[in-house]
Amino acid sequence: MNKQNPNKMQHFNEQLPLPFLKLDKDGTIILYSTLAMEHFDLSEDHIKHIVDNESYEKLLRYSSNDKAPVVRMELNMKSRTSPVTLYEVYLTWDNELHASMILLPKDQSNMQLIEKMMSLQKRLAETDFELYEQREELEQILSRLHELSGPFIPLTDKMCLIPLFGDVTEEKINVISHSCLQSVFAGEYEDVLIDFTAVGNVEDKGIEQFVRLLKTLHVMTGKIIKIIGIKPHTAKTLNKYALEGFMEFNQSLKQVLQTHFTK
Amino acid sequence: MYCPKELAGYFLEGNTVKAWKYINEQEKLTLLDTYHAMITPAMQHIGYLWETNEISVADEHLATVTCDYVVSRLAHARLASPEKNNRKAMFLCLEGEQHYIGLKMVNSLFEEMGWDTKYYGANLPVEYILKTAEAWQPAVVGLSVSIVYHLPKLKEYIEELSKLPNPPVVIVGGRLTEKYDLKPYCSENTIILKDLKEMREWLNYEQTKSKQDAAL
Ligand code: B12
Repeated sequence: MNKQNPNKMQHFNEQLPLPFLKLDKDGTIILYSTLAMEHFDLSEDHIKHIVDNESYEKLLRYSSNDKAPVVRMELNMKSRTSPVTLYEVYLTWDNELHASMILLPKDQSNMQLIEKMMSLQKRLAETDFELYEQREELEQILSRLHELSGPFIPLTDKMCLIPLFGDVTEEKINVISHSCLQSVFAGEYEDVLIDFTAVGNVEDKGIEQFVRLLKTLHVMTGKIIKIIGIKPHTAKTLNKYALEGFMEFNQSLKQVLQTHFTK
Repeated sequence: MYCPKELAGYFLEGNTVKAWKYINEQEKLTLLDTYHAMITPAMQHIGYLWETNEISVADEHLATVTCDYVVSRLAHARLASPEKNNRKAMFLCLEGEQHYIGLKMVNSLFEEMGWDTKYYGANLPVEYILKTAEAWQPAVVGLSVSIVYHLPKLKEYIEELSKLPNPPVVIVGGRLTEKYDLKPYCSENTIILKDLKEMREWLNYEQTKSKQDAAL
């Protein structure tokens, strides 16, 4: 028995790496480790004296769980360093209806997080929302422009046309891919025609992205994608990607439609 | 229909985009009502989730920054540069107090009414506030307190502020005002305000009174 504690609490004389407490079913502390005594003032022998008032309900409500042999919860404890200190508590019951608790201090591990949050908050205070909103608006306009640069045109139930306008950039193909794949997915198209007649500059990244789109369209339709109006230079670049079986070049939309309707 | 749980969900995901979008999809309320009826209940729900062992304090941190973003952006979006009334107020949390979201709302609402404000946020030691208050001479100082153990400090702040050559009116708010009687920690002249509605009422009353005083 410890001299300081004239109650039935006993000191558990093992070197445990974390504070440990054992309670009886009424919440009276019957056993404590050395670290538990270092962390908490145990002059009163009931657990409620070392748990923050607004955590006590939580302890009562969640301390027993039929489904889990060990329960885990965060509680604010009255520690020797501060009247509200966060701990992660692991609790389990034995046959004699005694609860063993291991208490892991959490404030330290949250410190890093808090510092990160603080710096975010500082940045927030400096954020110029006006600029921010303008940027958002611009991004929306740009995305809309991209969408318009690759409209999706259903020609018949089975045939659709995607004419590309302007430069082929990665961002543009990204936006177009999104809307095209959705439309193709929703319909039952067999022939997908992509018209390059109105295309200007072609960026490498743009073509890479385009090849991905081609392959996806091919998988979705099971058919060869028809490319129209492509300039020799762009055709050469595309040919580097070994796309036989995925796409074919056609001269013009007129030509494709003619062969289609004379079939 | 607005659902605080849904907003709380976006806060917990740290999803500023969805949180902002969700608020803007709702019926457009005043800044005060958006803070009072939408954001406050969402943060309280987060408190409930912690109490029911669903989330951890680490989750609350993420939710807090996300909420902070929304609170700040709302203030920016809804504050059409108001007519200045040439009155000054400063806002702070007591030393050690980290719960500043409510105070930030109050600061924006004062700005909306044309006040010139200084917002210090969390954890401001009393020496600092005394120095600034003496130099800047605000008409109102707003204090926020959420943790019970900080109450003794409240008394100290109020006493010290009352000793200034031009003592400001001290208003006190925060979670504890709803739960406890804070009068023992205040002076006779301290104004305790339970929520944002009470705050607006008091502010309206105070502004009429100060106009009348000026007219006399
Ligand atoms: C989110 C949150 C946090 C966030 C901080 C949020 C922030 N920056 O504001 C973080 C994660 C950082 C946090 C940390 C902690 N928290 Co905390 N937190 C909460 C939680 C869940 C919600 C608080 C909130 O944002 N409410 C929404 C705001 C808008 O409401 P409000 O503050 O009441 O303000 C309104 C009015 O009061 C008014 N108002 C506010 N200020 C003023 C000022 C004036 C002048 C006026 C007129 C009006 C006014 O305006 C608001 C408008 O609606 C509460 C639980 C709960 N139910 O409240 C716990 C809670 C407050 N936290 C608690 C604790 C213990 C802590 C920690 C100690 C936990 C820990 N060990 O890590 C730390 C330490 C904080 C510290 N030292 O101050 C306890 C307090 C218990 C107690 N005995 O007092 C609570 C009750 C949780 C609990 N059940 O145990 N917390």
